[in-house]
Amino acid sequence: MLSAQERAQITQVWDLIAGHEAQFGAELLLRLFTVYPSTKGYFPHLSACQDAAQLLSHGQRMLAAVGAAVQHMDNLRAALSPLADLHALVLRVDPANFPLLIQCFQVVLASHLQAEFTVEMQAAWDKFLTGVAVVLTEKYR
Amino acid sequence: MSNFTAEDKAAITSLWAKVNVEDAGGETLGRLLVVYPWTQRFFDSFGSLSSPSAIMGNPKVKAHGVKVLTSLGEAIKNLDDLKGTFGQLSELHCDKLHVDPENFRLLGNVLVTVLAILYGKEFTPEVQASWQKMVAGVASALASRYH
Repeated sequence: MLSAQERAQITQVWDLIAGHEAQFGAELLLRLFTVYPSTKGYFPHLSACQDAAQLLSHGQRMLAAVGAAVQHMDNLRAALSPLADLHALVLRVDPANFPLLIQCFQVVLASHLQAEFTVEMQAAWDKFLTGVAVVLTEKYR
Repeated sequence: MSNFTAEDKAAITSLWAKVNVEDAGGETLGRLLVVYPWTQRFFDSFGSLSSPSAIMGNPKVKAHGVKVLTSLGEAIKNLDDLKGTFGQLSELHCDKLHVDPENFRLLGNVLVTVLAILYGKEFTPEVQASWQKMVAGVASALASRYH
């Protein structure tokens, strides 16, 4: 359950990302592959050549999904249901990988927002992204 | 366990040379206690931890954060023998403090985000990778004598 303050923090940060989904998403993926090389196995087409255009394209898609989650913070299960199906039936990303992605997401936010990335923002986003990960892995079994 | 390349060591030591441990210590421990509130369980004697601002402004939090990062600074001088460096601290955290080693991983991750805040673009994916390796090595060394 997100408090009113947490929702405000989440929206505030998203307003800074909106419009730059591709750039943020590409950096997120680059950090994920560089810091946690075992994650590359889930993105064979992407991680082999790490073509900038492909990273931007896939990054855009991932961050657009995060944006949809922000719009539907109160009902993540409904909003993310198709993605949850995809992860359960097709992608089957081991749940242990989501905290790795979340850590990289926090680092992207922190390195871009710097002093503006308050402790409240960090807390709200960690809670929010963890909630998203729970929903995405909920249908696994 | 962790093998630090020359590039890793350069990334770690050059960044650390610029860190103000006085500021970063409080920031790191404070953020841990706010973002992962269950970690507050070890700090009942620290006084008010009732809100983010109480935590971030708490002098005991700051002092302890400085202590932790100072210890980390020593480890950075001994990257090839983290287990040796942290042997006694590992026993202390197991036998006296009863700290779940998962907390070391959480603190390490928070430190990485604090460094990203401080250094922005300079905190590249490669630099982050070296530092994640560093904090993972420290966490593992601190857990190494648990029994």
